[in-house]
Amino acid sequence: MISIVETLMSGVMLGALYALFGLGLSLSLGVMRMINIAHGDLIVLGAYLAVLVTGRTGWSALASLLIVMPLMFAVGWLMQSLMLNRVVGRDAMASLLLTFGLSIVLQNLLQEIFTANTRSLEAGDLALMSFQIGSLSIGVLPLATAAATVAVYALTGALVARTHWGRQVRAVADDPGAARLVGVNDRRLFAAMTGLVLAAISLAAVLYGIRTPFSPSAGPERLLFAFEAVVLGGLGSLWGTFFGGLILGLAQVLGQQINTGLGAFFGHLVFLVVLIARPQGLFGNGSKP
Amino acid sequence: MNTTAPPASALNHRAPAAALRRMAFAAALCGLVVVPWISGYATQRLMVEVFCVATIALAWNLLAGYAGLVVVGHQMFVGVGAYALFSLSNTFNLNPWLALPLAAVTSAIFAALSALPLLRLSGPYLAVATWVLAEVLRIGALNSPWLGAGGGLPLEAIREFDRAARNAGTYWASLAVFAGSLLAASMMLRGRLGLALMSVRDSEPAAAAAGVHVLRAKFLLWLAAGVMTGLAGSVSYMSTLQVTPDASFGMNWTAVALFITILGGIGTLEGPLLGTLLYFVLRELFAGYGTWYFIGLGALAMFVMLVAPGGMWSLFNRRGFLDVFGIRRRMDTHP
Amino acid sequence: MLCATRLSASYGLFQALFNVSLTVAPGETVALIGSNGAGKTTLLRSLAGALPTAWMSISLDGQSIGGSSEREQLRRGIALVPEGRRLFASLTVHENLLLAEHNGRPGNWSVMRVISELPTLANLLERPSTALSGGQQQIVAIARALVANPDYLLCDEVSLGLSPLAVDDVYALLAKVRRNGTAIVLVEQNVRRALAESDRYYCLRKGQLVLDGVSARADRHAIAQAYFGV
Repeated sequence: MISIVETLMSGVMLGALYALFGLGLSLSLGVMRMINIAHGDLIVLGAYLAVLVTGRTGWSALASLLIVMPLMFAVGWLMQSLMLNRVVGRDAMASLLLTFGLSIVLQNLLQEIFTANTRSLEAGDLALMSFQIGSLSIGVLPLATAAATVAVYALTGALVARTHWGRQVRAVADDPGAARLVGVNDRRLFAAMTGLVLAAISLAAVLYGIRTPFSPSAGPERLLFAFEAVVLGGLGSLWGTFFGGLILGLAQVLGQQINTGLGAFFGHLVFLVVLIARPQGLFGNGSKP
Repeated sequence: MNTTAPPASALNHRAPAAALRRMAFAAALCGLVVVPWISGYATQRLMVEVFCVATIALAWNLLAGYAGLVVVGHQMFVGVGAYALFSLSNTFNLNPWLALPLAAVTSAIFAALSALPLLRLSGPYLAVATWVLAEVLRIGALNSPWLGAGGGLPLEAIREFDRAARNAGTYWASLAVFAGSLLAASMMLRGRLGLALMSVRDSEPAAAAAGVHVLRAKFLLWLAAGVMTGLAGSVSYMSTLQVTPDASFGMNWTAVALFITILGGIGTLEGPLLGTLLYFVLRELFAGYGTWYFIGLGALAMFVMLVAPGGMWSLFNRRGFLDVFGIRRRMDTHP
Repeated sequence: MLCATRLSASYGLFQALFNVSLTVAPGETVALIGSNGAGKTTLLRSLAGALPTAWMSISLDGQSIGGSSEREQLRRGIALVPEGRRLFASLTVHENLLLAEHNGRPGNWSVMRVISELPTLANLLERPSTALSGGQQQIVAIARALVANPDYLLCDEVSLGLSPLAVDDVYALLAKVRRNGTAIVLVEQNVRRALAESDRYYCLRKGQLVLDGVSARADRHAIAQAYFGV
């Protein structure tokens, strides 16, 4: 019998992971008005990069982030500068179709290189550690995941609200044309933003890879959960995505308690119910992207 | 390129061109009808696939290109149509061809019901919601013993027909669905609905202010697309004789529609047809290369979107001169 | 000297400007008048780099600068106050100004100076920029372009939708700008005001230049004819 607390913690950890998945999507949708179909596959890419790094260096999965994060940042920067910036000005269809092609390429390249077998990342001792509060046993990894997610969100929020860079980001999200008129270099801004998004994704990827075995075709399902987190929380709201992810994770874990195969299904139901009740999402500001 | 409708006298329906068009279609149709008598089963099955995929791509394009409704869960219509056909035919012991219209009605009901919550959503909200709904249906079917769960359903009543009749019948059904959908789409778009949709595509608030009943236009299109796709799904699985949740509610259907849109361009009726043709040519030539075939497809998709965002059809059709279905309207741009 | 030489511009298939030529000398104020759709906004946006233009169709001090981006034009000292203000709703007034100052050129106009010259602004700094009256927003929009320290300030319909008092405030600010030596290109629907506030004027109709002259000696009748095309 699994206690309620353990279920909740499991839900919170999964939810935090989904919140991380959704962060990048929320930013690229809100600021660049771009639908990145390859988002899920990029998460999987991050996990496989961690596999490579841990294989070569023998480091633990989390330590591999020291290399994987900067690497993913670079990948994001290049991807945006060389490819995605070309479709940014146009309608959302263009970015959707372009990233769709990218998604197919990524999935199949990963399959060629790593085969279709599932893999996992080793967390090392961290996965087994836990500490006691009274009669409750709290795992270190779930707590660390939740804490890391909150930290990333807080950092992003502070960046957006307090820095010059953040002002530019908000300006471009409001009115890209007017932003250019006051000298904002939106091309470079987007490149930096995608770089950061991918760096955040790599953290999520490693945490996800520790928790769940993954394969090259795991991308679309990650994308779906990321999208659900963003849409559930409402477009245009950063913390909305955080709570959207949390709710999704909790719903899935609860659903899994009822019937092991129906975790995701329960999450989908909650998603649909919320959207029917509130078409703009929980914290959406109603602005049409 | 966005156009507005000039006075009726200036419309593109010059009598000789329209008559020529009709003759051309009639001739093509006649040619296609005789296929079962002049080719083997393999060709027929391929053509069934081509017609079904073309219909689905057409329907997807109608929604995305003319109503601005980008749907990532288009497979929900496919699965609903397929399962409707199989379960209706099995339950009532119906001749599958007679069950087709019933499957169409089921698809229409599903489309109408799904439109109620979904059409209140905009942009990405709608796109994701359709995907989630498709997943709900897939997982639902997977866990429903009365729908055969993971193994799916066979089409029992079709066993009464011999192979030749089965193949020919399925072929003609797919041809009928495709030709009918094409006809319905072009008639819809040439009429007031087409005007309404184009105005919505240009500027929804302006269209609404001008008295266009935006929601009604979208609803009608949603209904049409749902029925077209449902029928195509029914016939497609009639051809494979077995319907399963993962295949009929799988992302592959949307992926193919997306890919065809990339090749053929969006916002035209010719686009999806050209795209379907190109897709199947590529598949027949290169599918043997396994993952590299898919990598090639993906790379091609990216290349086209970067270089010719209007789809490959736009490369031949720079100024919109080619208007095969006669639905384009022109604006006089000389001052 | 900022010059447009046989400048043409199109939106897709629709041509909005046909071979328009004009000059703006350093420090002078030039008015652009014409009815709606005449191409005044298109002209300003072309000069500011917001629309693609042929290389030789715009020059600054003899150098061809056509085809540049908004950023490049800003670096060269050409700033646009766009039609409809277009302040950033997610930013406060202060943030709007800081953003523009950071991306602009150094010079006399800093955010601090703007605030000191416009005391009413000081109280509004922390408000979301769209939570202001039309007149206040217009002042902020002009200030936002100003803190980039342009040599040529392009103003598109700055009096649109404002009360007469607010319009006076706006033009008082522009007078300060003029006293500082900045050239101004003014698109203004109110012909009387446009002529009163400018040294020279150009009149556009249907994308073509139909009349120009010295504002002080402007013939109302000739302008009315050019404006309406009778």
